[in-house]
Amino acid sequence: MGYFEGFRITFKEMFKPRVTTSYPEELRPKPERAHGRHVLNRHEDGMEKCIGCELCAGVCPARCIYVRGADNPTDAPISPGERYGFVYEINYLRCIHCDLCVEACPTEAITESKLFEFSFTNRADAIYTKRELLVGDDGRPQRLPWELWSDDDEANTSAWVRATASSGRADYEGRVGWSAELGYGIRAPEVGQAGEDAVATADDRHGHGDDVGHGHGGGH
Amino acid sequence: MTDIAENGTEAVRGVAVTLNGRVIDAQPGELVINAAERAGVYIPRFCHHPRMQPVGMCRMCIVEIDTGRGPALLPSCMIPVAEGMVVETESPVTRKAQDGVLEFLLVNHPLDCPVCDKGGECPLQDQTVAFGPGESRFVEEKRHHEKPIAISDVVQLDRERCILCDRCTRFAKTVAGDPLISFVNRGNETEVNTFPDHPFASYFSGNTVQICPVGALTATPYRFKARPWDLDQVESTCTSCSVGCRVAVESSSNQLVRYLGVDVDAVNWGWLCDKGRFDFEAVNSENRLARPLARQGDDLVEVSWSDALTKAASALGGAKERHGSSSIAVVGGARLTNEEAYAWSKLARSVLGTDSVDAQMGDGLPSDVVLGLPRATIDETCAAGTVVLLGPDLKEELPILYLRLRDAVVNHGLNVIEISASQTSMTRYAAVSLRYRPGEAAVLVQELFEHAGDVDVQADLGRARALLEANNVVCVLGRPSVAERADSVVQAALRLRSRVPGMRFLSALRRANIHGALDMGLSPGMLPGRVSLEEGREVFTEAWGQLPGSVGLDTAGVLRAAAEGRIQALILVGADPLADFPDRDLARRGVAGAGFVLAVDCFATDSVRQADVVLPAVSYAEKAGTTTNIEGRVSRLHQKVTAPGTTRPDWMIACDLAERLGGDLGFETAEAIWDEIERLAPAHSGLTAQRLASSEGLEGIVAAGPSSILETTMDVTATATLPVDGYSLRLVSTRKLYDNGTLVQQSPSLAPLAPGEVVRANPADLDRLGVASNDRVRVASSRGAVVAPVEADAAVARGTVLLAFNQSGSGAADLIDVSLPVTEVRVETVGIGDREVSG
Ligand code: SF4
Ligand code: SF4
Ligand code: SF4
Ligand code: SF4
Ligand code: FES
Repeated sequence: MGYFEGFRITFKEMFKPRVTTSYPEELRPKPERAHGRHVLNRHEDGMEKCIGCELCAGVCPARCIYVRGADNPTDAPISPGERYGFVYEINYLRCIHCDLCVEACPTEAITESKLFEFSFTNRADAIYTKRELLVGDDGRPQRLPWELWSDDDEANTSAWVRATASSGRADYEGRVGWSAELGYGIRAPEVGQAGEDAVATADDRHGHGDDVGHGHGGGH
Repeated sequence: MTDIAENGTEAVRGVAVTLNGRVIDAQPGELVINAAERAGVYIPRFCHHPRMQPVGMCRMCIVEIDTGRGPALLPSCMIPVAEGMVVETESPVTRKAQDGVLEFLLVNHPLDCPVCDKGGECPLQDQTVAFGPGESRFVEEKRHHEKPIAISDVVQLDRERCILCDRCTRFAKTVAGDPLISFVNRGNETEVNTFPDHPFASYFSGNTVQICPVGALTATPYRFKARPWDLDQVESTCTSCSVGCRVAVESSSNQLVRYLGVDVDAVNWGWLCDKGRFDFEAVNSENRLARPLARQGDDLVEVSWSDALTKAASALGGAKERHGSSSIAVVGGARLTNEEAYAWSKLARSVLGTDSVDAQMGDGLPSDVVLGLPRATIDETCAAGTVVLLGPDLKEELPILYLRLRDAVVNHGLNVIEISASQTSMTRYAAVSLRYRPGEAAVLVQELFEHAGDVDVQADLGRARALLEANNVVCVLGRPSVAERADSVVQAALRLRSRVPGMRFLSALRRANIHGALDMGLSPGMLPGRVSLEEGREVFTEAWGQLPGSVGLDTAGVLRAAAEGRIQALILVGADPLADFPDRDLARRGVAGAGFVLAVDCFATDSVRQADVVLPAVSYAEKAGTTTNIEGRVSRLHQKVTAPGTTRPDWMIACDLAERLGGDLGFETAEAIWDEIERLAPAHSGLTAQRLASSEGLEGIVAAGPSSILETTMDVTATATLPVDGYSLRLVSTRKLYDNGTLVQQSPSLAPLAPGEVVRANPADLDRLGVASNDRVRVASSRGAVVAPVEADAAVARGTVLLAFNQSGSGAADLIDVSLPVTEVRVETVGIGDREVSG
């Protein structure tokens, strides 16, 4: 008996479900709140949401965002209003994915996808510029050749965990608050979120926020 | 409360005021808001500004004040303290009032903070966070206006953001004296605006951007360049002219983006002129010289520093060996810091062996006059009994000195006697304004004291004489016009001095650090510390090894000698004689006639393009050191950004050249140079680097120094120069703030502001000559001719014609012959296209 006693743990574990996957062939779904590489979102009419205000750069604890604003050309405006983000760069060698930039952004221009599997062979490649960060015309992140995207990485690319948001309302206590829109569409707000009713109606036209499938600008 | 004490002076006794339950000691007449601030209690405010009269516009400073009749809500910026007053700045009633004021101010305020240039340093943001209600109950539509409208070339106005504090309009009217913006409409529709077809074209418009408590006024050159949290700041001194305003130099990502005025009592009171405020663009310019150049045939090609220095040194050494030291000359140096000027002075005297060094471009005054006359500071001038203006138009050349004098006249009753060849911006503030015929300033001064002159000016002369009886007369002395020689102005000044005992002088030479350059001996016959070559010979021979035997040539002399082939090597240190010397023909012949030309500069100016070797120098805000203003005030300059390419500081270039010439200036750092200046230069002894860096040095320290150089009390009889004939007019050539100089032209925001070339003459003269206003005219002197449009202008005295110096076009320099006392010109209409024909 003493011999088998030694295998007790082994046999016990043998009959439990396996948690190891053979990465990277098999990718595990990521948690809803995973922080990955950023995207710069667009409005539904294709205008850039970023207004070049540098609030994200100012709040970033890793000092890895570089933004410069410029006067919006009046004949072909790039974003609504007077100012647009003329240069936008994030250095992924430094980013700690804390999402403070996302919280600081007044226009929900910068949000994070769940993509974290990307690698570089030199410093310059690690600095994403507007060209890489901006979402495509469909509102979805660009899938760059050196990035390993899985299909749910785009889900929940909205500005999230507005912990102190909405005037610090008590019904947010301990609750993850998603803004009511994804980088590329509208999602259902969390329970207790202000404006729930209003957005829920809009949501009927857009499909439900929890599936990844709804398109950018649908219904307009 | 004030008492008149026995001896007649006011004895100041504090006023006891209870502030939030604590008794504080306020000064009689002090406003509650200021007394509270001194006692450490900040009362929020928007319209109150320490350098302007209170108006009580914004109501933000409302607090509970009990003057004995029970507590009431009163604006603390309008109420002077009184004995026994009780002030509550934190009571619930005060808090509620502040909440209310802010909620009202925000009713029409747009939510622009993320795109607003003020966001992050905005008093409205800050005070809303600190004193505001936290939430607005206003859900209605806000007032809308067109987003920013350009009210001048450099200032934009966003009326939606304006909180109607009256700071900008008050500044324009009461401080700048340019009432070009004003409130229009009433009630909810009130807005700040310009008058139709009159832009806010004030030389001081940038100050309104700095004092606007919200982002309503923003500066075009700074628009969206950076946000406050990514700015780096250092305090320095402006060197765009010689007033020496203190500035905060701000950069973002190693690029200059903004200057802000720093409030120092002695100089600029926080104000800056627009040229000084916005010419940082020139430092950032793409056109800066970044690498050394050397001549290959017709072209200047990039070479290494070592090649350039070797080439320059061998040419300089060769000239010295074959033709003697007097064949070498150094022109320029007003761009340099004091330390750099000293290094060049030492290089010229001890290594090159020449005394032909001159930082002035023939458009100033003799250096013994500038350095030798008894001095007055700006404060002393403003507090003088009477001020005599004998110099350029101060608003155009020394704008902040103009603001200070204007303030002294308007608010403190200063009496000003203006002696000028035509009306200037000070004329309307002068108690007496006397006109002299160009070249005859000394004649006018003689008439003043000898009761001579025409009957119609007798009354004016009499009033001026009476004003000169005052105690404490100060003369602001500069070069009124480059179209007349300096002699007559010097004579006039010396005559004034001999007739008005105790008269002191404030220099009005305009160029950057010209006073520092002269102090450091960049002038023939002068050594550092305001001593002449002979006075300082012993001390400096010992320290420097050797000194030139005799006094050298000034810039005009150098150019003349060069034109005659007697200058083998001409060194231009930040000098552009082709643009700045009054007589372009002589400048051209001089630069062409010099055997070898070495230029040390930041930009490829016309003169630099003629050089054989060009060494690129670092520019403002790229080097540390000290600078000296019109008063002789030494203040510190700080480095903020790194210089482009391989540019070097001028002192280092001087050391490099000395080394290649087999000498050694003995400097490793700019600080070491200052230590030597402090040790050797008599006027600067005791002005240690420590003192300058201490709090005492924040507004600069005046180098009092000796003034024993000028012993002449010239009393020759002034003679009038006779006009050539009845049709000739005398040329007056003065500077405008915005001209064709590199600082302005390399600043894209300022370059378009240069007015261009316009001839101005009195309408009566134009009638007499049969020329109509707006005609194109040909102005011809014995030297050459200029074709430009003419404007009738009653401000120009009869018998004279005004043509600004160094504007686009061929310019006054083509007309002036520096060997003549005055420039006589004839003015004739030309048809379109017959420039050549008329004649
Ligand atoms: S996630 Fe955090 S570290 Fe990364 S860019 Fe945003 S603020 Fe900076
Ligand atoms: S991403 Fe957002 S916070 Fe950052 S500059 Fe653009 S608008 Fe501002
Ligand atoms: S003026 Fe101040 S409060 Fe108004 S938009 Fe600009 S930063 Fe915001
Ligand atoms: S523009 Fe600015 S300074 Fe002028 S009144 Fe409005 S808020 Fe005051
Ligand atoms: S600061 Fe007193 S009313 Fe504006």
